[in-house]
Amino acid sequence: MITLGTQGKNTFLADVNKKSGANVLECYQCGKCVGTCPVSQYMDFPPREIMQMIKLGLRNESYMANSHWFCLTCSACSGRCPREIDIPAVMEAVRHLAIEENYINDSTKVKEIRKFHEIFLAMIKRYGRNYELRMMAEFNIRTRNLFKDMHLAPKALLKGKIPLGVKPLKSAKAIKRMYELAEKLEKNK
Amino acid sequence: MKKLTYFPGCSAHGTSEEFDSTLKLVLKTLDVELEDIPDWNCCGATSAHVMTENLAYALPMRNLVLAEKLENTTMGIACASCYQRMKVTKVHMDENPELAQRINTTVVEEGTYKGTVDVKSMLQYFYEDIGVETIRGKVTKSLAGLKVACYYGCLLTRPKNITKFDSPEYPVSMDQICEALGATATEFDYKTECCGASFSISNTEVVLNLSGQILAMAKESGAHAIVVACPLCQSNLDMRQPDIEKQQGVKYDIPVFYITQLMALAFGNPVDQLKFPKHIVPVEGALANIGKIDPVPQKVKKPIKAVEAESEVE
Amino acid sequence: MARVGVFVCFCGANIADYVDVPQVVEEVKRIKEVKFATEYKYMCSDPGQGMIRDAIVQNKLTSIVVAACSPRMHEKTFRKALSDAGMNPYLLEVANIREHSSWVHQKDKKAATEKAMDLCRMAVAKSIANEQLHEISVPVTKRALVIGGGIAGIQAALDIADARIPVVLVERSPSIGGKMAQLDETFPTLDCAQCILTPKMVDVASHPYIELIPYSEVIELQGFVGNYKVRIKKKASYVNFKTCTGCGACWQKCPVKVPNEYNMGIDKRKAIYTPFPQAVPNKPVIDAEHCTMLTKGKCGICAKVCDKGSIDYTMQDEIIEREIGAVVVATGYDMWDPKPYEEYGVGRFKDIITSLEFERMVSANGPTNGVPIRPSDGKVPKNVVFIKCVGSRDEAKGIEYCSKICCMYTTKHTILLHHKVHDSHAYVFYMDIRAAGKGYEEFVKKAQVDTGTTYLRGRVSKIYKKGDKLMVRGEDAQLGQVVEVEADMVVLATAVSAPKDNPDLARLLGISYDKYGYLSEAHPKLRPVETAKAGIFLAGCTQAPKDIPETVSQASACAAKVCGLFAGDTMKKDPMVSTINNEYCSGCQNCVKVCPYGAIVTDDVPIGHGSKELRTVAKINEGVCQGCGSCVAICRSMAINLAGFTDPQIINEIVSI
Repeated sequence: MITLGTQGKNTFLADVNKKSGANVLECYQCGKCVGTCPVSQYMDFPPREIMQMIKLGLRNESYMANSHWFCLTCSACSGRCPREIDIPAVMEAVRHLAIEENYINDSTKVKEIRKFHEIFLAMIKRYGRNYELRMMAEFNIRTRNLFKDMHLAPKALLKGKIPLGVKPLKSAKAIKRMYELAEKLEKNK
Repeated sequence: MKKLTYFPGCSAHGTSEEFDSTLKLVLKTLDVELEDIPDWNCCGATSAHVMTENLAYALPMRNLVLAEKLENTTMGIACASCYQRMKVTKVHMDENPELAQRINTTVVEEGTYKGTVDVKSMLQYFYEDIGVETIRGKVTKSLAGLKVACYYGCLLTRPKNITKFDSPEYPVSMDQICEALGATATEFDYKTECCGASFSISNTEVVLNLSGQILAMAKESGAHAIVVACPLCQSNLDMRQPDIEKQQGVKYDIPVFYITQLMALAFGNPVDQLKFPKHIVPVEGALANIGKIDPVPQKVKKPIKAVEAESEVE
Repeated sequence: MARVGVFVCFCGANIADYVDVPQVVEEVKRIKEVKFATEYKYMCSDPGQGMIRDAIVQNKLTSIVVAACSPRMHEKTFRKALSDAGMNPYLLEVANIREHSSWVHQKDKKAATEKAMDLCRMAVAKSIANEQLHEISVPVTKRALVIGGGIAGIQAALDIADARIPVVLVERSPSIGGKMAQLDETFPTLDCAQCILTPKMVDVASHPYIELIPYSEVIELQGFVGNYKVRIKKKASYVNFKTCTGCGACWQKCPVKVPNEYNMGIDKRKAIYTPFPQAVPNKPVIDAEHCTMLTKGKCGICAKVCDKGSIDYTMQDEIIEREIGAVVVATGYDMWDPKPYEEYGVGRFKDIITSLEFERMVSANGPTNGVPIRPSDGKVPKNVVFIKCVGSRDEAKGIEYCSKICCMYTTKHTILLHHKVHDSHAYVFYMDIRAAGKGYEEFVKKAQVDTGTTYLRGRVSKIYKKGDKLMVRGEDAQLGQVVEVEADMVVLATAVSAPKDNPDLARLLGISYDKYGYLSEAHPKLRPVETAKAGIFLAGCTQAPKDIPETVSQASACAAKVCGLFAGDTMKKDPMVSTINNEYCSGCQNCVKVCPYGAIVTDDVPIGHGSKELRTVAKINEGVCQGCGSCVAICRSMAINLAGFTDPQIINEIVSI
């Protein structure tokens, strides 16, 4: 049971609204997003329920839900939302807040998703571009799942599907600098 | 001759090399010259916006700033993910000059963002700038007999207020182009359902499920093949197809073409230039529907040269 | 010497909480003409009015200022208090210190108090220059115009006519009856719409006080309350109604087939047609757009088969003029077009139909003999999904508001489906069930239990085709699970929307409309049937979505308003009208051009006293003038004065602050 009325002002709602540019209060719980969302079945709480949790100010529970990690930003929900709420932006806002405030959902799936993105971003930082084979290899090593997708590897390699290397960007330095400046901006917001 | 600024995207040199090279064949026929953005960088899709806000804008902005130094006013993007990140950044920057100024500080060495270059997906470029009729006029080998399900995915037409192109629910641009090539576009209700996109590596189970539904609906529509304009969709539907078949216990055997491969074929390019051997699902069965064509080679003619990979795993 | 009395109202806490009322009273007492000033909790109450009456008599006051709410609220009340004390009521000035000060400056009591003082000073100064004015009497034409012949227009016309007041009823289509004539049964009692409507339609046709003008449109309205002149365009029907017996030989033989509007295009009618069997008048008209005789000069069969010789291909549109005193607008509503719902495949999937189409199918006189069928293959559907709020409560694709009737008619549809197809099953996707009305909730409960309909709370996300089934996907929010229903047919409860040409009609009548196109009432709560223009009233869905009982109530309310208006032989009107000083008028006629009411005409008067030579001057029609003041502002020679707002009054106000 959740006891309401003891939390005072709903700062979570204000934080999410500010960060997303959406107004979660506009949600009237019709559920059109849930039937639309391709991954709602994998979420702890589908989009409609996340909206309600934000309205109730359930910060902790929203952060720890896997929903915002599963959101693919496919924008199908917002395209159908009768109140035109930018639901992907809301999901993104919850995720960014959770990252900033260091809330870590340590389920295997979320860890893997997060790891993937971290590896990806680290690689872009280093090369300026994506290096797919290395990406997959590193992901498998970091998630201790060495043989994942290995059955695809020979065929893909043979068919030239996945290149063996990547041309590092000439101005790799500029990218590194961009990362640092962007990080600084993030902190100074 | 028309000129167009080109952003190939990382996968053009990897998983979607066949998209890139057949696009170039098609544009040659259409008399369009591509000008690569010099020293372009990854757009950040799909990880940057997941993890952080500013970087997700900064990475595309660098490309936009570099593109503004060229003379062309339009940038064509092959990859749908890259297109979306670039377009989102452009729209948000143009709407909010203050934000643009702030993000610009991260790439200030490259120049000042002005917002002078428009961003289009190649599909949009074909549809709006080239035109279905021009495409029809270039056809020398009709694809009559081939039934295709045009699959757009999430990113080419959504969100509507960003892309301002075609319909987010039932788009028709690719269908019309395919019809202009002589093929028949089937009534396909999963045109814009998500294939699982970036979960290909980190959450394969989701991709198998979502892409599996798309394959089933494409088959249900009576299509011989699926046509796409997005590398991520192509790899999820093609490369993962054997796994999906195994999981569902069904045989789809439905090849997944890039729209440019079909265009290049219809424009009379030799079959051995269309990179069909790169497909995981064989294409011969589907192509048999258009009558006699040159045999599809079995091997990639020239394997892609591996470029020195530097650095080591930490 | 003027002797002004000032009465400052607390309005409970409305004014007193934000304006220091005693301080305002103290301040006005310092004005030398103010001989009496006081405060009271509710000036509008009986004791409050008594204070005004007493003070007038005891202090021999010559003008009165009441500082209270907007004059729109209680000006009449206070004027009456003045009259009762033997004072000319137009010696009253109201200083609006509520809407103009306390309500809008709630955060700064000091400033609000100062503003209230200023408003009082101005009112006092103005009142000193007030003159005695007298109400104007205007004659009334006791005939009403009703626009629209649906149930709203029918009810209003019958009620007015029953009071022996002549009514002109104008209907655009060939028959009266409106949307109600298309309905099968009506909620919550399930009586047959035709059975309860057609007697009223016949009454209209035979009523000695009703002139029914079908197949016509209002094209111009001039004049003012009690004295309007309307121009009506009667479209050529190409059939002489006087000789036509309505035998039907013409339409039976007509070879041209056109989608039948009455049946929502499910079947065809002919180019010469009566819309439906019980049509009133029951005479055919020729659809000029589709008749090949009229478009190409070929055919002429209907004229050949008509033994009365009633067909006349040369008939022209006709303009009819009537003098009337009041107007009831009852133009109904449109069904919203669900085309924007691309995710439902609207337009692509034949077996998705709208509620009104379903209504026609289950109607005994409908195109499918009362049985619902799938348009794609003619099969009788077993699993039928009803989707509510299609277009309603949807800012993105449709309209923001709740259409009010869909919950109830969808409930009715589940019953009708159950009646017509015994082995069918209905699914209803809903967001809320809004069943507020007499017997409505009971009706919903009974329907749910009797039909076993599956109710799923959620907005449908997508519809796609699988084989010959429509797969309807949405969230069942009660279960927190996405469900898919295999449907044979889908019925969309499409929104009620304002008639597309309401804005044009509003402009023509000089009344206002809201952002959706509904005609605006004068006050949302207290004057729901009047418009802001005197003598024009609203009935039915043209004002907002409503069901039949509400529509009929509003129509009867309109009739009461019309009867009230016509109760005397003349009407009283405020004397705040413009007057022209002929000596100053240069005859430039700029005022004629700016007058929004057409109240100014020209007149020829002698150049000088006794002269035979004439010159042109402006002339105000007091009955039409609404006292807006546009002419006063435009007049370069300052020849126009507006009673109650004369130059000395305005200048006094300005000088006082």
